[in-house]
Amino acid sequence: MNPLIFTTILMTVLLGTMIVMMSSHWLMIWIGFEMNLLAIIPILMKKYNPRTMEASTKYFLTQATASMLLMMAIIINLMHSGQWTITKVFNPTASIIMTSALAMKLGLTPFHFWVPEVTQGISLTSGLILLTWQKLAPMSILYQISPSINLNILLTMAVLSILVGGWGGLNQTQLRKIMAYSSIAHMGWMTAVLVYNPTLTMLNMLIYIMMTLTMFMLFIHSSSTTTLSLSHTWNKTPLTTTLILITLLSMGGLPPLSGFMPKWMIIQELTKNSSIILPTLMAIMALLNLYFYMRLTYSTSLTMFPSTNNMKMKWQFETKRITLLPPLIVMSSLLLPLTPMLSILD
Amino acid sequence: MLKIIIPTIMLMPLTWLSKKNMIWINTTTYSLLISLISLSLLNQPSNNSLNFSLMFFSDPLSAPLLVLTTWLLPLMLMASQHHLSKEPLIRKKLYITMLTMLQTFLIMTFTATELISFYILFEATLVPTLIIITRWGNQTERLNAGLYFLFYTLMGSLPLLVALISIQNLTGSLNFLLIQYWNQALPDSWSNIFLWLACMMAFMVKMPLYGLHLWLPKAHVEAPIAGSMVLAAILLKLGGYGMLRITTMLNPQTSFMAYPFLMLSLWGMIMTSSICLRQTDLKSLIAYSSVSHMALVIVAVLIQTPWSYMGATALMIAHGLTSSMLFCLANSNYERTHSRTMILARGLQTLLPLMAAWWLLASLTNLALPPSINLIGELFVVMSSFSWSNITIILMGANITITALYSLYMLITTQRGKYTHHINNIKPSFTRENALMALHMTPLLLLSLNPKIILGFTY
Repeated sequence: MNPLIFTTILMTVLLGTMIVMMSSHWLMIWIGFEMNLLAIIPILMKKYNPRTMEASTKYFLTQATASMLLMMAIIINLMHSGQWTITKVFNPTASIIMTSALAMKLGLTPFHFWVPEVTQGISLTSGLILLTWQKLAPMSILYQISPSINLNILLTMAVLSILVGGWGGLNQTQLRKIMAYSSIAHMGWMTAVLVYNPTLTMLNMLIYIMMTLTMFMLFIHSSSTTTLSLSHTWNKTPLTTTLILITLLSMGGLPPLSGFMPKWMIIQELTKNSSIILPTLMAIMALLNLYFYMRLTYSTSLTMFPSTNNMKMKWQFETKRITLLPPLIVMSSLLLPLTPMLSILD
Repeated sequence: MLKIIIPTIMLMPLTWLSKKNMIWINTTTYSLLISLISLSLLNQPSNNSLNFSLMFFSDPLSAPLLVLTTWLLPLMLMASQHHLSKEPLIRKKLYITMLTMLQTFLIMTFTATELISFYILFEATLVPTLIIITRWGNQTERLNAGLYFLFYTLMGSLPLLVALISIQNLTGSLNFLLIQYWNQALPDSWSNIFLWLACMMAFMVKMPLYGLHLWLPKAHVEAPIAGSMVLAAILLKLGGYGMLRITTMLNPQTSFMAYPFLMLSLWGMIMTSSICLRQTDLKSLIAYSSVSHMALVIVAVLIQTPWSYMGATALMIAHGLTSSMLFCLANSNYERTHSRTMILARGLQTLLPLMAAWWLLASLTNLALPPSINLIGELFVVMSSFSWSNITIILMGANITITALYSLYMLITTQRGKYTHHINNIKPSFTRENALMALHMTPLLLLSLNPKIILGFTY
């Protein structure tokens, strides 16, 4: 794509999210969402083939439906409160509709069906933007309306998301679908604690974005989109196998890596609010996630997977440049001792 | 405490910067020096704990375990030299780094004050162990073994996290030193029953309890020698140590909640001992023998009398040294014949008489011969369980008999009789192997002269 046009479109995506995060007028927020959606379609379709077209169409349809539902919720809110400012939502119906719309945008169960299919159909870099940047805008709106969200609906969606994210990823070998199901599960964790302590939602979002960024960078570096091609990394760059191991274990939430920090804090917050069965259930279902991450590490770093002889040729071809990988790896694995710093977020 | 932790962490730069011919020498020597530092902790002047800082403390229970942990690292390094000799230098360094990381986490776990810190480090020990088992094990079953190990332990310990956080909400602090003074009786209710279960299940899986022990034969058998040593000697004791710490907070429910686990342990120790009599795989025999000994420790901890706590602590240290030594002996067989089948390498006394002496000593301590500390541990446990309920003496006596039976079976099969014709060209014992066995046996024998340092905090 023409670099100038690409820059403009990328800037529009960024601007759209910024408008959503910084507005106080509901209409501007809706405009920000629409800008974001329209501008990201060309980015999703960087490679022009029927697969990408199908993925982009699915993404557009679901997100447009969600935006329309959001608009309806905004109008009902306007009807009952008479003003357009974002504070809390004044009507339970509007609140429920708005929560469902934002859940559709995020990919929470039962609106998660688009996430694996869209992520699979697009290139790795576009998938990266889809799973990280696109989650910022809906999450920021959920953060702002969090006092008025119906707890039952949100918690049901969260727990079901963790379940679906865990179980759905078990049968996958395509890396992009694995990351999609991982995203569904992590969104579940984030929304579970939203009503109790929204700061932890933001913490989880931050750490999730760092870990997903790292994973995608490692995948882009070895240009691998299936488990089989990822298992050839020991031929190309043996160091990245260790990095993949560390990042995957961190995503699975194993101490002492930083992926454990959001889970620990969320369990602590939920237990402080006297729900004991819920965090136990959530923690045990996160083990399903850990299982398919472990499967990836088994084929990549912990065994030397059999490969054909011409795999050794891979190191002769040009390596894709990956930016910022070392700091990302450090941040996605070593942040746990900094947990006491969270008190500054209050 | 930092005087032990920081040198252990610095072992990692030491391995990465060592030259190829100095790597084993450097790491073994320095880890031996670190273990000598930790010996000073055994000087516990009173029943109160030695507090080093807000975060680390050592008391008569954790000091012997800490000394065992630091003592075992040079032994693990010595034992791994042979099977890593053909690997490239970077992989050797990675292996030693994994061992050192595991050592650091174990030292911090045994001395942690805050129970959540204990939990995080307890879980953290899983990662290097998993990597050691899965990456450096020898058979394809190691993949399954790693998964079983990881998931059994995690399933047990996630409820522990929730339980610890809810206890922190109730009491305000999880600092172990404070909880000793806070101790109130837990009121009797359904949710407190689940709290008890959540706290204990993690350690039951780690010990392991008889019904949850499936991960142990797999993990012990598939691990390389250093992995087997550290698993048998230390990681199982993490469960025992955790149970000993956390049962102080869980009264009085333990008096009736403990019954199912006591039944499982009493029955399980007989079952696993009997299975040892039918094993063909040498490492598997030693693994099941570990389950049997640990079942005794579970019985001791759940009875909660001063004598039983003494027996549990002594048994943990004694079993750590004995089991690790047996795994080293099995490994010396494996390195020569590349098979773990017992009858494949039999009649070794004729070929390797000095090693036969070590086999004899190891088997005798395994069956708890007086005056070794294994006997002291088992005797205290048997006596306290007799005072708890007279009938258990039948099961305990049966267990001691069967333990003697399989230990002698192992000794006689591998050492006595005519050697087979296909092993008459095995290499003679290396000095390294003899040194390894001597370094295992010497603490074991010397401790029988002064067992009070391993008798724990109820002495």
